[in-house]
Amino acid sequence: MNKAIVLKGITKKFGTKTAVDHIDLEVSEGEIFGLLGVNGAGKTTTIRMLTGLSLPTEGEAKVLGLDLRSDIDKIKLLVNISTQETAIAGNLTVEENLKFIAGIYGVSNEDLKERLEDIYDSLELGEVRDQRSKTLSGGWQRRLSIAMALITGPKLIFLDEPTLGLDVLARRELWRFVKKLKGKVTIVLTTHYLDEVEALCDTIAVMAKGHVLAVGTADELKKSVNKDTLEDAFVEIVGGEKK
Amino acid sequence: MRALVFTSRNIKELLRNPLSYLFCLGMPLVMLIVMTLINASIPKPEIPADAKLFNISLAEAAETTKVFNIEMLTPAIAIFGLTFIMLFSCIAVSSDRTSDFLTRLYASPMKSTDFIIGYTLPFAIIAAVQIVITFIAGEIISLIVKGESFNIGYMLLSLPLFIPAVILFIGIGIFFGTLLNEKAAPGVCSAVITAAAILGGIWMDIDTMGDAWVAVCSCLPFYHSVKAARCALAGDFGGMIVPLMITAAFAAVIFAASALIFAHKSKADK
Repeated sequence: MNKAIVLKGITKKFGTKTAVDHIDLEVSEGEIFGLLGVNGAGKTTTIRMLTGLSLPTEGEAKVLGLDLRSDIDKIKLLVNISTQETAIAGNLTVEENLKFIAGIYGVSNEDLKERLEDIYDSLELGEVRDQRSKTLSGGWQRRLSIAMALITGPKLIFLDEPTLGLDVLARRELWRFVKKLKGKVTIVLTTHYLDEVEALCDTIAVMAKGHVLAVGTADELKKSVNKDTLEDAFVEIVGGEKK
Repeated sequence: MRALVFTSRNIKELLRNPLSYLFCLGMPLVMLIVMTLINASIPKPEIPADAKLFNISLAEAAETTKVFNIEMLTPAIAIFGLTFIMLFSCIAVSSDRTSDFLTRLYASPMKSTDFIIGYTLPFAIIAAVQIVITFIAGEIISLIVKGESFNIGYMLLSLPLFIPAVILFIGIGIFFGTLLNEKAAPGVCSAVITAAAILGGIWMDIDTMGDAWVAVCSCLPFYHSVKAARCALAGDFGGMIVPLMITAAFAAVIFAASALIFAHKSKADK
C-alpha cells in the first residue's frame, strides 16, 4: 500500500526544549491513523509540522510523496486540518464558511457544488446550511470544522483532538461521521481518549514526551504488553517511558 | 484571488456585527451633532472683541473655539472616525488569532500578502463610506446652522486625500491586532483613540496651545492628519502639503511594520 506519510528522525525543538524527538512513522493511504498520548506528548507539534505550520528542526518527511521542506506549497493544496479548537467564521453561515474555505483552495464551481451536496449528505449539515455558525452547538460547530477541512477535497486530513470538550452523544455522532470517511481519505487523528482510537483507528502510535513508544493496531498494542484492555496497555507502554 | 475571498469574508463579518455600524458610522454622526450643539450653546456676548476675561481677549477665546465650527469640525471628526476603523481592524485580527481560525488559514495556501490585503480592503471600504457620510452630515449641518454650503469642489477633492490617514489607522489596527490578544487589544486601542483626539487637536486648536505642546503633538501622526484634512476642506492646498506628506510617511512606515510583524508572527515558531 502507498504511504501517505513517511517520517524519518523528525525532531522539533523550541529553544532547549525538545517537543518531538527523532520520530519515525509511516501512515498508509486510506487508513485512519491515531496519534495517542497524554498532554504534552508531541501530538499537536507533529501535526503542525506536517501541515506546514511549523518547520522541523531535524529529520526528513514525505507527505503524499512530496518533500515537507521543499514542496510545502504543493502539500498545502492536498492536505487540510481541523484544529483542536473549533476554527470557523462565526458570523458566516455554514454554507458561507464552506464556500470561503473552498475559495481559498481554488475549488472550481463544479467541484464545489458536488462536494457541498456530498458533505450535506454525509455530515448532515444541510439542515443548518443557512444558519450562522456561531449559533450552532459545540458538536455541530466541530462537525462544520471537519466539513471545512473536507470541502477542499484533501487526500490527507488531520483531525487534532476532534472530540475535545464534546459531550458523550456529540462524540459518538462525530465518530460515526469519521468512520464514514474511512477509505475515502487518509486521516491522522490525535486524541488522548483511548476509546476513540480503539473505535476509529486502523493503526495507533503511542506518543509520550516527544517519542513514539509503540505503533500497531489496538490488538497488537495489547498483545505487545500482555494486557486485555487498551487502557492497561497504554499505561504499561507510557509508564515504561516514565521509569 | 485568495486575498479577495478573504476580503469578502471579512466584509461579511464586519457588516454582520451591529457594533461596527454603531461605532464606525453612528459615532462620527453623533459627535458632529453633539459638538455643533455645544458650539451653538456657547454664549456670544455683545461686547468689544478686545475686552478681556481672565486675561484672554474675546478674539483669542474665539480662536480657541473655532475648532467647533462645522467646517473645522467635519474633517477632524472624519479623521476621528478612522480611530474606530482602527479599533475594529485590531479586534478582527486579534480575534482571528486568538481563535484557531488563523491557524487553519496558515495551513492553507494563503500567503502573508493575502492576509494583509484581506484585512485592509474591507476596512478601507468602510472608512470611505464613513468619511463620505461624515462630510454629507457636515454639509447638512452647515446648511442648517450657518445657511452656508461647504465648497463642493474642495470637499470632493479632499476625499482622496484621506487615503494616507485611512492606511495609517488600519495599519495601527493590524499592528496591535497582531501583537495583542482579544482581551488586551480593545484597551490599547482605546488609549490610541484618546491620544488621537487629544494630540490630534480634534477638540482643541493645538496651534494656540504653545510651542512645547505643538512640538509634542508633531511627533505623532494624528496632529498632521487632522491638519491636512482641515486644510483640504478649506482649499488651503499649500498648507496641506507638509502635513499630508508627514501623514503619508507615518502611514507607509506603520503599515509596512504591521505587515512585517504579521508575517513574522505567522511564522514565529518555524
